[in-house]
Amino acid sequence: MSFRIVIALVLAGVALCARAAEPLTVAVYPNLDEAIRLVTPLWRQRHPDVPLKFIARNYVDHHNAMTTALAAGSGLPDVMAVEVGYLGRFAASGGLTDLAAAPYRAGRLRDRFVRYAFAQAENGGRIVAIPTDLGPGGLFYRHDIFSRAGIDEADFTASWERYLSAGRRLKAATGVFLLAHPREIKDIVLRSGLKDGEGLYFNAAGQPQVESPRFVRAFTLARAARVAGLDARLTPYSAEWSAALRTGRVASQPGGAWLVGHLEDWLSPGTDGRWRVTRLPGGTRAAWGGSFYAIPAASRNKALAWELIQLLTMDRALQLAAFKSPRLNAFPALRTAQDDPFFAQPMPFLGGQRARLFWREAAAEMPALTVHRLDPVAEEIVNAELDRVLDDGKDIATALADARRLIERRVRRP
Amino acid sequence: MTAARQRAPYLFLAPFLLLFVVFGAFPPLFAAALSLFAWDPASGYASARFVGLDNYVFALTDPWFWQSFGNTLWLALAAGVPQHLVALPLAFWLHRRAGRVRHWLLGAYFLPFVTASVAVSLTFATLFATDYGLVNQALQRLTGLPLAPDWLHDPALLKPLVALVVFWRYVGWNTLLYVTALQGVSPALFEAAALDGAGSWRQFRHVALPLLRPTILFAGTLSLIGGLQLFEEPFILTQDGRGGSGGAAATTAIYLYRTAFDFGDFGSAAAMAWLLCVAIALLGWAAHRAFRREEAP
Amino acid sequence: MRRWLAWTAVLAGAALMLLPFWCMLVFATHGRAEIFQAPPPLWFGDGLAGNLAILRERLPFWRNVGMSLYVATLTTALALLLCAMAGYAFAVYRFRGQRPLFVLVVVSMMLPPYLAMVPTYLVLDALHWIDAPRALWLPGAASAFGVYLMRHYIAHALPRSLLEAARLDGCGEWRIFWSIALPQCRPALGALGLIVFVGSWNNFVAPLVVMRSMEHYTLPLALRTLQAQLDTQWGALLAGSAIAALPLLLLFAVASRQLMAGFAAGISGEE
Repeated sequence: MSFRIVIALVLAGVALCARAAEPLTVAVYPNLDEAIRLVTPLWRQRHPDVPLKFIARNYVDHHNAMTTALAAGSGLPDVMAVEVGYLGRFAASGGLTDLAAAPYRAGRLRDRFVRYAFAQAENGGRIVAIPTDLGPGGLFYRHDIFSRAGIDEADFTASWERYLSAGRRLKAATGVFLLAHPREIKDIVLRSGLKDGEGLYFNAAGQPQVESPRFVRAFTLARAARVAGLDARLTPYSAEWSAALRTGRVASQPGGAWLVGHLEDWLSPGTDGRWRVTRLPGGTRAAWGGSFYAIPAASRNKALAWELIQLLTMDRALQLAAFKSPRLNAFPALRTAQDDPFFAQPMPFLGGQRARLFWREAAAEMPALTVHRLDPVAEEIVNAELDRVLDDGKDIATALADARRLIERRVRRP
Repeated sequence: MTAARQRAPYLFLAPFLLLFVVFGAFPPLFAAALSLFAWDPASGYASARFVGLDNYVFALTDPWFWQSFGNTLWLALAAGVPQHLVALPLAFWLHRRAGRVRHWLLGAYFLPFVTASVAVSLTFATLFATDYGLVNQALQRLTGLPLAPDWLHDPALLKPLVALVVFWRYVGWNTLLYVTALQGVSPALFEAAALDGAGSWRQFRHVALPLLRPTILFAGTLSLIGGLQLFEEPFILTQDGRGGSGGAAATTAIYLYRTAFDFGDFGSAAAMAWLLCVAIALLGWAAHRAFRREEAP
Repeated sequence: MRRWLAWTAVLAGAALMLLPFWCMLVFATHGRAEIFQAPPPLWFGDGLAGNLAILRERLPFWRNVGMSLYVATLTTALALLLCAMAGYAFAVYRFRGQRPLFVLVVVSMMLPPYLAMVPTYLVLDALHWIDAPRALWLPGAASAFGVYLMRHYIAHALPRSLLEAARLDGCGEWRIFWSIALPQCRPALGALGLIVFVGSWNNFVAPLVVMRSMEHYTLPLALRTLQAQLDTQWGALLAGSAIAALPLLLLFAVASRQLMAGFAAGISGEE
């Protein structure tokens, strides 16, 4: 009798130990590994028995490895980071836990997050991920170079036409290029005038919209910039591009809030006080990137995974730490974190601007666009056609018609 | 013949075959089956839907597929042909003239072959960078002109650059194959030709080349297969592994990889892979025929 | 005169071949900001310690080096044995199913390897091999090219009379292979060993889909994790690449002559 009890106790102990030894795994891409490092001490305090194990992969590798694992429905981590560009496909896949359902009921958390970011992870009543950081955007520009050409901020933010004409004057006076590549103009103009629930490339019925006036205007402005010789013909985020920013060959660069940290840290060191950020020409709202955390449906430890996600996305102190970390610069998606006095501090690198308040406002005003499974394909097709327009002089109407045909070929497929 | 001897080949083959069937043969066959389905791998098995030959129709009518195939052929030729044009005389020279340092020189040319493509591509990306790259710096010094070609992003320059990297990586391998074959040639043949008054060039042209014919076929076939499967060099050399703006330097291997993983269409990717395999087999067979026929008379 | 021209051309070519290695080693000792300046550095800097520190901070770097060695060594050893056995079977015996089997092996060399990623993952998952090193070295050992090469070599370079003599002496089939054929194949085994080792050492696709823990990453995959969308530590990356290339560079510096000779003998036989 007592012998049996001992055995039962031992077995129970073994079972407990076995469970306790199993770590909670988190798969991320850089630099989100830094966010996991930040959360680790807190997690250790709360769950000394469940170690946190993170798996970092290169951005592209991470999403490919997750795709492969989702295909098999196994080998998945307990928590998975998803970049906004992949969210549409992963959301449509059904391989992620619906966080709108019990016991998570994430719908009640909606108001705590920046509206547009949370909406991106909602898909037909399901919530597949929780946002952690965002890239509310603005136009970064070299105040000193524009001043040398006698150009004021108000001169180029009023409209895209004014932006381009300021670029011509700038080029004539200083020889500096207005921007790196016309694709940047196209990407922002595409987003102008969009309202909640609309999509970038597809309408609500899933039809491609690439021949709409939005795209015609975006392509026309991009071509005008190229024809006037205003772009440095550099691929954004390439090594050459960073060299051009450092040497002041390019005077303005649209981008997300996170760009400022990189500018200060290594892209444009020693230019303290010379950069500024302002609203995008024509009052367009645009965002650059954004990270989310999701729980794969195959996770074996969903309760703890959910706890970790809440910690990563809803812990005010942690979100602020991630924002202040020079490697992360993760602009918090959590609205309560945005009330911190840190946001009102002037930023010396931007000539004392209170830029974080500007970004907070930009994030709040961003329309909640719907993402489509085929957004990445559509983006690629549109970019390729824009290159034909810019490099080979292809007619814009023809290019957009070709883009629509190429996209439709894929939409017809399931 | 004894029973042991009849059983022996199967026993010798068994361990290899076991692994080969599971990891070498099954995956492509599985992919062949999948090429008949519409399937986004991110959605799990359950979402696969039978579509017959639809994926093959899609691939064959897809302008990007054809563009990538054109790129692949271009790269296979532009990187492959010069490899052999350089490797053949180089091998002959090393074999006949280099003497004791032959191995060192061959080693220098062979070194790129053993280096990780990650390292290779990163180094080339820094060397050919527009503003600070060593190549453009040298170009400006030498010409005195403010030349700054954008090797890594200008589609017209990216393809030759990829070809250059492939050439750099494999020219030593081909040289080695040829040196090896020349070592099997009796030195007396060259000496006899020399006695007849044949110079180096004529010895190379009339003695070495005809003898090397089977090796050229072997090495050329390897180059062809490798060239048509080209993936790593353009993948790592271009931003995000897209093969350059508008897929300018994207090979079919890259395009089918992206179709599967970035565009979530595994069925079409599998169909493209099988089409590529057929193309490789056909081209290899055609090369074989052409070479053999030339040889026959 | 013509001789000097030829020497100059060949030496200049060799120097151009080696230039990227020089740059890699030099860049490995510089920080990211110094690599991207004009003109770029051509001589060693003092950033190596900093780069190594970044590698160690972001990665279990030395464990990755160890894993690369472990996987490449096991893959090579097993591939040599299996490919020699299979190549021997194809070259020496006549048996039913020989031709279709050999065609299957050759055709499999023509398939783009990246297509097999998802199906291979499904197999490894069914075997519960995900995140286990054997999921790298067992499939890696089944080299179709290796079988092709060994069959080629044995068919051309192994005197059949040797085998017959041994058979008359009463040797078993395995003894003949192990004690007589295999030692004769040493050059081909050396060549194949180098090719398989290099392939395994440099492979990043297989570990990408298989490995879950960063401690189990091989070097190429580990180094790729340093490549962020924007914020890449190029100095550290190139330092890591240089370390990854170093074993093979050293091997070459020390044993260039033997390697080349062995390799040459190993590949030969197609005439």
